[in-house]
Amino acid sequence: MSKEEIDKEEIIIRNYRTSDYEATLEILRELDQTFHIGLKEDQWKQSSGLRQFKPNLKRITLIAELKSTGEVVGMGMIEALKNPLGQYIGYLNNWATKQEYIGMQVGKILAKRAIKLLRSWGCETVRIIVAWGFPEKLLKVFEQTGFKPIQIVLENKFENEQ
Amino acid sequence: MGELKKSNRDICEGLTDIYLMYFDEARGHVPLFIYPEEKFSDLVHNKTFMRPIKYHPIWFLTVDEQEALDHIDLEFKGYTFFGKKFFAKSKRKKKRAGLDDETPETIIIIISLPNEVEIFGDDLIRLLTKRIIDHFGDKLYELIEYENVKDEVIKTPRIKEIIVEGEKIKKRLENLISTTCGQYFSSVIKETDTNSIKQQKALSYLALKGVDVSHLASGEKDSTFSNIKLFDPSTRNKEALKLNYPFNISEIGIIGDSHELEIIVQNTTDEEIRDVIVKITHVKEFFEKEIMSQLVDEWFPQEELVFLSPITPQVNEYLFFIIDNETEKRLLSQKIDINILTK
Repeated sequence: MSKEEIDKEEIIIRNYRTSDYEATLEILRELDQTFHIGLKEDQWKQSSGLRQFKPNLKRITLIAELKSTGEVVGMGMIEALKNPLGQYIGYLNNWATKQEYIGMQVGKILAKRAIKLLRSWGCETVRIIVAWGFPEKLLKVFEQTGFKPIQIVLENKFENEQ
Repeated sequence: MGELKKSNRDICEGLTDIYLMYFDEARGHVPLFIYPEEKFSDLVHNKTFMRPIKYHPIWFLTVDEQEALDHIDLEFKGYTFFGKKFFAKSKRKKKRAGLDDETPETIIIIISLPNEVEIFGDDLIRLLTKRIIDHFGDKLYELIEYENVKDEVIKTPRIKEIIVEGEKIKKRLENLISTTCGQYFSSVIKETDTNSIKQQKALSYLALKGVDVSHLASGEKDSTFSNIKLFDPSTRNKEALKLNYPFNISEIGIIGDSHELEIIVQNTTDEEIRDVIVKITHVKEFFEKEIMSQLVDEWFPQEELVFLSPITPQVNEYLFFIIDNETEKRLLSQKIDINILTK
């Protein structure tokens, strides 16, 4: 099923506001249901998406809003993290689009803006963390924009330990 | 008012002591002037009396370091000692190699106030420091020369000149301090906001000290001591107390078990604020340590930002500043005591 692409002029990319809490929680729930990102609702607070500053870390949650209705249709968190070698590495985390807008290029518009922002923060590299088992065709899409797989991250949740 | 009228000096007597010190390259920290002056000769060599002055944390900070704060305070035996350090012009021949005549003098001003009225210290030290710099900034080195030579056995004509000039400066300095303190305390009493806690506290303390303040209210307004209304919280004008800062701390908390301090601050204006530095520091054993300094190049209208800082073991007090990067003007400062935060 092909969907009509949304023009970038129809989307506003802005920073998260506390009033976006419910909308982002809904998107995160959807993401968690599909990819089990380990969402704990009580830990996603109203202030969690605000721009954060701490030593060696900058974080912002970007919101994609539909200009015509003001609806939040996508979100993505970006982080600039200083590694032990003193270089800032940019990360795109928890990238998600509202179910009915998937395939309409919302994520692409959001990602372009995010990469621009990470560059302005002085990042030398950008990494995208994706969920295990995510569609291989998407990997090809990323590769076309210059992203190459470099690491596999293994995780063991402590709550699973006997 | 006649008999009850008191001079500026009488008002300040017993209320505040002011110490002006300088850094002598050969002798270390040396008292230059103490107000009231009688105390200078009597108490300057009294180790117990001078203990809080000698061990005041201001000594351990450079002029640049202490500039981040308005003043450095020390509490000792019912008094608060407010300290400030500044440079003053010099043409004095120095006694250490590497220093030339123009090397500025390091001056320290410490004012002591009883804890009951320590709320005045902030304004008073700022005012006094400004006036001393304005009126004596280029004269203090002459006072230092005077202190260095006044006890010489053989007094050459040059030394005599220095002594005469020094005595004059001392007299004028005493007048300036006396006038400034008198005016300051009188202005506190005369403030139009008669409900301010500051004024109420001042009145209570001054009354307790037996000072009749009716003389302060001369002129058009006949608001004598007894005319000033007592503080009534129910009539407090909340709007008047609202501070006009562009930032507001909306939340301060400790994040779960992560031992991190979370401070949420909002740009309360409808304009984008550019180029501000957010600093979090703590003071441990008199030394201020910066644990976070973050440049925020753009802060959107009404936007809330989160600042996270690690909590240092054994340190409970933190200072949070927002500083304009260009003018270095402090736009917000807040002391945070983690003991009173709810975990």
